[in-house]
Amino acid sequence: MKGKRATAESSMMRFVKQLEQRSRAVFITAALLIVAAIGFVDYLTGFETSFSIFYLMAIGLAAWFLGRGHAIFISVLSVAVSLGGDLARGAHFSSPLVPTWNAIILIAFYLVVVWLLTLLHSLQRELEARVQQRTAALKDEIAERERLERELLEISEREQHRIGQDLHDSLCQHLTGTMLAGQVLEEKLAARNLPEATEAGKVIELVEEGIVLSRKLAKGLYPVEMEADGLMLALEEYAATSSELFKVSCRFECDLPVLIHDPATAGHLFRIAQEAVGNAIKHGKAKNILICLDANEEGTMLSVKDDGAGLPEMPPKNRGMGLRIMAHRSSMIGGVFSARRDETGGTLVTCELRLESHSDKLHRE
Amino acid sequence: MNKAKIRIFLVDDHPLVREWLTNLIHQQADLVVCGESEDAPHALREIGATKPDVAIVDISLKQGSGIELIKNLKGMLPDVAVIVLSMHDERLYAERALRAGARGYIMKRETAKKVITAIRQVLDGKIYMSESLAAIFAEKFVDGRLPASGSLVEQLSDRELEVFQLLGKGYETRQVAEMMNVSMKTVQAHCAHIKEKLKLTNAAELLREAVRWQENYPAN
Repeated sequence: MKGKRATAESSMMRFVKQLEQRSRAVFITAALLIVAAIGFVDYLTGFETSFSIFYLMAIGLAAWFLGRGHAIFISVLSVAVSLGGDLARGAHFSSPLVPTWNAIILIAFYLVVVWLLTLLHSLQRELEARVQQRTAALKDEIAERERLERELLEISEREQHRIGQDLHDSLCQHLTGTMLAGQVLEEKLAARNLPEATEAGKVIELVEEGIVLSRKLAKGLYPVEMEADGLMLALEEYAATSSELFKVSCRFECDLPVLIHDPATAGHLFRIAQEAVGNAIKHGKAKNILICLDANEEGTMLSVKDDGAGLPEMPPKNRGMGLRIMAHRSSMIGGVFSARRDETGGTLVTCELRLESHSDKLHRE
Repeated sequence: MNKAKIRIFLVDDHPLVREWLTNLIHQQADLVVCGESEDAPHALREIGATKPDVAIVDISLKQGSGIELIKNLKGMLPDVAVIVLSMHDERLYAERALRAGARGYIMKRETAKKVITAIRQVLDGKIYMSESLAAIFAEKFVDGRLPASGSLVEQLSDRELEVFQLLGKGYETRQVAEMMNVSMKTVQAHCAHIKEKLKLTNAAELLREAVRWQENYPAN
């Protein structure tokens, strides 16, 4: 019930809004015509019947659309027309003070209405202005938040990259040196036939495991090598590792060589694929996942398709976050992102880089 | 007893690795480190001056790439046996390094146990690689997809060869299509045929093979 009234009100407001666009001359003419018409009917019906309430139509029109001055003028005019009509029809008063008194009462009544209407109008105007202001502020705030989110993602990406590289370049090299030192020690101990040589050998093995471990960590933090074909290699390796690790069939398909020259773009595409595969396994319980990297005249397209449960109608909060980050990454590299339930029931995640917005465009010449 | 020691030159950008590699090598009675360097240009000069028997080279250096250094050494000092010592995965880099002229490839995490063996093996004139890498090569060889040698590439049609060459030169598929005045679909079909004929499993391999072929037969 309430909703119905609200929609009726809002459509009314829309109508009034549209009217406000018209020029003032239209309203002045309309108000005058209304006064003339009502005055004529008032005259025809004789002086015994009061028509004063109908003049409010013209007065209201003037008050709302033309302002206080015009409304007062129409009020006075209405009273004059009404009184003139009554007198012309032979209205008879015991004293000339009576019609004057009546006219003053009527004008006062009209003025109160004018005052209320113009007040309402200005209040409404103010409210509208404030809403607009707030909307603008809110829009700014949303834009600012999006910028921050993007920056956050960039920073985390950069930091991961840096840590990955440090792990690979510094820590692994350091451990290699340590291992060599251990080998020297082992050989010295062995030369003296000391049983501790075995323990030194164990230490070397442990350091070797340390190198493998930190290399794996570095790989997770920074999976895509700098070369243009790095994304293809990384996705291929990732598909193989995922199959092995999660006991699913994860394949990478790429018919044409797809070169991504910008390492940041390659990195984001990789992370999108990674997130999509992770979702497919964790949430969708998928058994078959297909990662595709495709290029055609329009651009480059990454897609991840699975045969899992598909996207739920309302994704749970944390999963929604994953989708949002994927969409974010996609927008950062100028891509068009979509994640939807596939016609076969699974999920299909795509990120399309159109050629015009391709960040690789710079490298093409 | 006074036989001249075998001289080894180290190229690695990490001091700790150089230091302990030197210690390890010096522990062998017949081996000596005759010099070390942390970047490619300096290494090339020094190796030219000291003329070592073996050079141990890391692929990622402070300046210049190890692969380029190996190619230069092969051209200028073919008598120096180069062993690559790298943090990078052998599956991705070993073939490239060996084709550039290296005689051995060791992943850094295996250095301690393998480096002395590798040195001795390359001095014997053999190629050194890990067992798992040797197994991968053997499998590729049996499948007939190891070398993109002339014979396999000769099976390509003229248009396919053109695609193969352009990809090898580093052009993108889109550019290849533009240059050959055909659609991407056509290029895709060519690629499928090339993969079939060269017995390659995927696009990444196709690209690697094309680049390698271009490097080895630049005249084509």
